[in-house]
Amino acid sequence: MTIRMTTLATAAALGIGLAGTAQADDHEILIGIQVPTTGSEATYGQDMFNAAELAAEEINAEGGVLGRELRLINGDSACDPQQSVNAASNLVSRDVLGIVGGYCSGATMPTLKTYGDEGLPFVITASNSTQLIPANPGNAFMINSTGADQSKKAADFFEAQGVERLVIIDQGDSYSQDLADLTAERWESMGNEVVRRETVNKGEQDFSAVVSNVRSSDADAVFWTAYYADGGLLIRQLRQGGYRGTIAVGDGSNSPQLFEIAGGAAEGVFAFSNPTADFLPAAADFIEDYQAEYGQDPGPYAPLNYDGMKLLAWAMEKAGTTDSAAVVDALATADGESWLTGPIRFTDENTLARSNFIILEGEDGAWSYYDNQ
Amino acid sequence: MTTSTDRPSNLIDRLYAYFDSPRRQMLLLVGIVLVLAIMPLFMGRYTTTIMTNALLYVVLALGLNIVVGYAGLLDLGYAAFFAVGAYSIGILTVQFDWNFWLAIPPALIAACMAGVIIGGPTLRLRSDYLAIVTLGFGEIVRFGARNLEITGRASGLSNIPEPNLFGYVINSYVDFYYVFLLLAVLAVIASHRLYHSRLGRAWLYVRHDEDAAEAMGINRVRVKLAAYVTGSVFGAIGGIFFSVNLGAISPESFSFEQSVLILMAVILGGMGKIHGVILGAFIIILGPELLRELGELRLLLFAVIMLLIMLMRPSGIWPERRH
Repeated sequence: MTIRMTTLATAAALGIGLAGTAQADDHEILIGIQVPTTGSEATYGQDMFNAAELAAEEINAEGGVLGRELRLINGDSACDPQQSVNAASNLVSRDVLGIVGGYCSGATMPTLKTYGDEGLPFVITASNSTQLIPANPGNAFMINSTGADQSKKAADFFEAQGVERLVIIDQGDSYSQDLADLTAERWESMGNEVVRRETVNKGEQDFSAVVSNVRSSDADAVFWTAYYADGGLLIRQLRQGGYRGTIAVGDGSNSPQLFEIAGGAAEGVFAFSNPTADFLPAAADFIEDYQAEYGQDPGPYAPLNYDGMKLLAWAMEKAGTTDSAAVVDALATADGESWLTGPIRFTDENTLARSNFIILEGEDGAWSYYDNQ
Repeated sequence: MTTSTDRPSNLIDRLYAYFDSPRRQMLLLVGIVLVLAIMPLFMGRYTTTIMTNALLYVVLALGLNIVVGYAGLLDLGYAAFFAVGAYSIGILTVQFDWNFWLAIPPALIAACMAGVIIGGPTLRLRSDYLAIVTLGFGEIVRFGARNLEITGRASGLSNIPEPNLFGYVINSYVDFYYVFLLLAVLAVIASHRLYHSRLGRAWLYVRHDEDAAEAMGINRVRVKLAAYVTGSVFGAIGGIFFSVNLGAISPESFSFEQSVLILMAVILGGMGKIHGVILGAFIIILGPELLRELGELRLLLFAVIMLLIMLMRPSGIWPERRH
């Protein structure tokens, strides 16, 4: 009995594993979607996969690419460097003609080599660490803005607001410190002065020391680069302490929860954010289609992955072939065509030539789109 | 407890009993190594990559097997040793421009030190407490890597140069497959020799009854420390070549799940038994890959299969039987 059960289980596992490894026929174009659909980031990954699927369905409904139908293959990276390399080599072995995705920069990093060896076009839609740039063999294209872009957006915004005395507050962790450093550097290179840098501890409840430092430094703008949980408290205490100047927060604080914590104090606070569907003027149809198809709202990286899929299809169509080198060349020529998340054009390093960060403003207890142009 | 005179009733046990003879075991191992050695010639990139991964886990699982299987010390933070090896290489080659081969000895010394650091204070602890302390150690290393400037903080280290062996640059996936095959073979030989050594016997006694072992003249402290240090060296060697294989390391690679995965390979295969542990490592890595087609369901099904295995074979697939 024991033997039979074990044998059965093994046979079943092997059977399932081997089923469906069929290769593409000539009427299909296989595209690998490298996102984490298991593990801690599975929610974002599934959401990104859905968005790519939506894009592929739309393309197929209009006759496909070069008369061939797009078929997506899930390459589950699990947000883990080893697993993502496994997923990437799986995709390569199954003869995909291009890859869309890339979430978790650490997991995307080693796959650059896997795809680079084959010269396959890879549209990176979410990962945005600046470390990916030197590791890119030339076949990968990043359509999400990097941390450097956010700092630029922030510095430009403060200048447009006529800010003279800026205070930057971070939380001492990698992400918020990095953003604070980059912004300070940028701001000073523009000939301005950062009057004070503050670092607070995560989970701190009483920010009175920081508040009085801000007050005594006579600041007219405060930039909080860390997350919403502590940011909400800080904003509340800044306003209670009588600070009246501009407050801006980075994309770690653009959560609606900020309003629950900060209450009325969050009114008029500015936030820098990746282009989420809610605030993209062109995304109304996308949100509707997504909801109809999947019964939920598109997540933060869905529009980018949707665009990534469409961009790759566009490049194949433009190249007139699915030959990797030709498609990579075509991607490099993307020249400001309009997409869901805005125009896409690449720098010499294959990164997005503009910042895709948008500015939000707190209004009636929610974020609203703020156009400062 | 099965004794050697018992005739094993079921087929699997009879199969194992057949391979109990050292000669047949040797033949089996040589056969497997030969098959593995020619595999990349007719296997694609994907198969080669996941086999490389499985071989890495053979090294790691054999290392943990020394701590858990031989010496009977539960370790829930084994990924820390793996991390020490990987980060030592990363730091020395990326931050200080060292040659890869020159960076190996310091990396091994660092791992030995980590073994002593974790081994020292935990010697007085048993079972549950030991597990908690090792778990904490694993997390400390990961959080350290996540926050220190020198380890590249949360984004890790990238562009780790590929090793150059007498002018030949080891960089393709096939090259790394052979590197890990060689490491796995060395790990098996080392494990085998250790198992039959004086130290291996001492571990066995300590595992069964510490007090009795001490009464028989075994230096408990030294023997346990030796287990940790040996285990950490295996882990570090895995980490060293892991870092150059991927070319980039980040804290996500050394999470608690990683420690659990390696421990699972040891327990699933059969603690203390080299063949069992190798089998366990292959199942742990190849299982989820074979199920990749199922998308988000794959880990669920894999978990069910492992539960079934544990129910059918509670002491591992190929457990130790030492008479």
